Amino acid sequence: MVPFESIWPQVAPLVAKAERPSRYINHEWGSVYKPEAGFRFCMVYPDTYELGQANQALRILVNAVNAHDGMVAERGFLPAPDMCDALRREGLPLFSIESCAPLGAFDVIGITLPHELAATNVLEALDLAGLPLHAVDRAEDDPLVVAGGPCALNPEPYAPFFDAINIGEGEESLPEGLEVIRTQRARGASRREIWRALAALDGWYVPSLYRWREADEAQEAGSWIEPLEEGLPTFIEKQVFRGFAESPAWEPCIVPFTEAVHDRLNVEILRGCARGCRFCQAGMMYRPVRERTADNIVASVLEGLAETGYDEVSLTSLSSTDHSQISEILTRLNRECAGKGVRISIPSQRLDSFGVDMAGLVAGQKKGGLTFAPEAGTQRLRDVINKNVTEDDLFGAIDAAFAAGWHRCKLYFMIGLPTETDDDIKGIARLVQQAYDHARAVVPPDQKGSIQISASCALFVPKAQTPFQWDGQIPPEEALRRVNLLRHSVKYRAITINWHDPKTSFVEAVMSRGGREAAALVEEAWRHGARFDAWTECFNEQAWRDAIDVLSFDVEAAAQTAYPTDYVLPWDHIGCGATTRWLARERALADEGITTPDCTFERCSGCGTCMRLGVDNQLAQPRVLGGARND
Amino acid sequence: MTDPRLFRLRATFVEEGRLAMLSHLEVAHTLERVVRRAKLPFAISQGFSPHMKIAFGAALPVGVGSTCEIFDLQLTEYVAPAKALAALQAASVPELMVQECHYIEHNATAASVAFPFSTYEVVFDRAIESIEAPETVTVVRKRKEKTLVVGEFLVKPFELEGNKAVFTLEAKPTGSLRPDLLLAHCVFDGEVVSITRVAQSEMC
Repeated sequence: MVPFESIWPQVAPLVAKAERPSRYINHEWGSVYKPEAGFRFCMVYPDTYELGQANQALRILVNAVNAHDGMVAERGFLPAPDMCDALRREGLPLFSIESCAPLGAFDVIGITLPHELAATNVLEALDLAGLPLHAVDRAEDDPLVVAGGPCALNPEPYAPFFDAINIGEGEESLPEGLEVIRTQRARGASRREIWRALAALDGWYVPSLYRWREADEAQEAGSWIEPLEEGLPTFIEKQVFRGFAESPAWEPCIVPFTEAVHDRLNVEILRGCARGCRFCQAGMMYRPVRERTADNIVASVLEGLAETGYDEVSLTSLSSTDHSQISEILTRLNRECAGKGVRISIPSQRLDSFGVDMAGLVAGQKKGGLTFAPEAGTQRLRDVINKNVTEDDLFGAIDAAFAAGWHRCKLYFMIGLPTETDDDIKGIARLVQQAYDHARAVVPPDQKGSIQISASCALFVPKAQTPFQWDGQIPPEEALRRVNLLRHSVKYRAITINWHDPKTSFVEAVMSRGGREAAALVEEAWRHGARFDAWTECFNEQAWRDAIDVLSFDVEAAAQTAYPTDYVLPWDHIGCGATTRWLARERALADEGITTPDCTFERCSGCGTCMRLGVDNQLAQPRVLGGARND
Repeated sequence: MTDPRLFRLRATFVEEGRLAMLSHLEVAHTLERVVRRAKLPFAISQGFSPHMKIAFGAALPVGVGSTCEIFDLQLTEYVAPAKALAALQAASVPELMVQECHYIEHNATAASVAFPFSTYEVVFDRAIESIEAPETVTVVRKRKEKTLVVGEFLVKPFELEGNKAVFTLEAKPTGSLRPDLLLAHCVFDGEVVSITRVAQSEMC
């Protein structure tokens, strides 16, 4: 067993020479140090400090574990590439932030899986920690390595690397799992016994206890996994933090020295979104919708600002303007923070709830750029994807925003959505140009030159546990053809079109839809040098190509094959609340262009989440269609 | 010249241990948050992008510690210095600790230019017999090479004592010589363990 002791004396000279030393030095305001705790957990974000420190899961889970007697949670981040190399050169392991202790000395390591392009970083972290990459190869006294987060909804591309995977919200579920590990360790249980004990717990999946079936066999059996022992669950349902709405919205946080992304006070005002966009995994994953009350939020924001010293607060959620009390919250906060140089922001604005009132309430003093996501260029396609916004919603929002003094607006679109045609692509150009015309009409004549409208296009990545999970991604060449069609369709030179590299989106699709065989691909790509795939300047296409050449795995099929909705998918043993039957029905409605209403405004759409999980939407007051009113 | 209706508080603080590795910008951000946490009645600039009226002393290179850093804060109300100090200390992390504060005239010279002479103490890993400074040091600024004549900046030569040395550099309006860079170009038998700014003064 690796001794639990600080390796700072050895690390310090490397930190001094590293790019941005402040990533590694600890001692930030709010960091918790519990050296006396007997059971140690290290929560790792598989990317650098600036990205990880901003991560909500990391903050929440470190707090949740630290709240337990005798347990400590420290933070760990993947060092930037220069520091990864320096550590390897000096033979030093990946270390935790608080104690600067080797990761191998912890009882449990938790790695969050935030997006599909972090997979090679997981391996980079495990390797730097000096741990065997595969759970089955780890020694009895090696730490248990667990995972969670959005990508756990299709855990198979990560399956061999983790001892256990936590599905759903971890506030209660993670400490429960850790408690089981602690108890089992205390009675001298073997690794395999600990696996069994975890597998018996709701929301915990232990991949090594299941055999992975061949495709034909899986279709026949109705599941890709076969338990290797008696008594193992064959379906693992996500866990929901039931106390969310009543819990304080002030989540104690660390104030970093270095400028992290989203470096501000983040207050989660509601969780879940039932708008039901058919491509959206988050919308399925965080159901039901749970609102914290205006009183809770306002008190929490004020407490958080006082405790941290931040001069900006963001009211976060998947769709903050949907909060039933958003006008009241903004009005009260604007009043409380007046004259203090505090900026109040909302990360995402829905087009149909951003009117003149909302523009006034979030205006504050600084007006940065606004971001809206129409997602598709024609009403037909917006109906297909169930993005229930209209052109009028967009133009109304543009009118309100530019009249209120904004000059920059970014519009998000997706390319390659199911049923998309060239008309839909040209529709994006038309819509953006019309938006520009609207902006010009309301901005004073002398400021027309400063109007900036841009369209950002992402390539559609089919996501597990969504109605579009059976759909394939279009090939990268076709994606580029459609991007070019869009660029040539835009006649206004003032409009900028940005797009993501389809090659990285292709890797995302493979990781999003692949089965357990995708894990071998990740491992091979990492061995060929892939890491930090989400960083444009680090994405190593050749490493992935080489990996594909070595393996017989058909990556195009994994990313691009469309299946009928009765096809058994590699993640069907994982449940996110919504039933497969409902997802299939939504997929059929998409083809017909029929939309499904949001159950927090209108009737229940029968997704099954509330029934299956024994939960309900929790609203602070009834929601009103058409968005917030400032009365 | 600042608004004469405002109270101008000058605070000194240390930057030690690991936090010597913070950049000037990181220290500035951190101190703004310290002031907010301390709930002092700080003044806010008017205009398009309102911000706290706080100004910092001359920048310290990354990796160089200090016992005598300065920031000036404008307050809308008088707070007794001892009270302000207690509030700032309660809101600070140990290695970036405010040590003292007092009021200065509204027209006092800004902290960044008021103290052009900085004295540094360098600790070596062993006792040093002699240290020889080069005549010139070439630096790259904005991709242009610039040759600095050491004698124009090194106003007090190295005073050696065992494993320590003390020297004073003058910051010029046209530029300054970084203490860590100077040491990297000096000839001596040993390794630098730490560099600390120990005094900032108006005169040599």
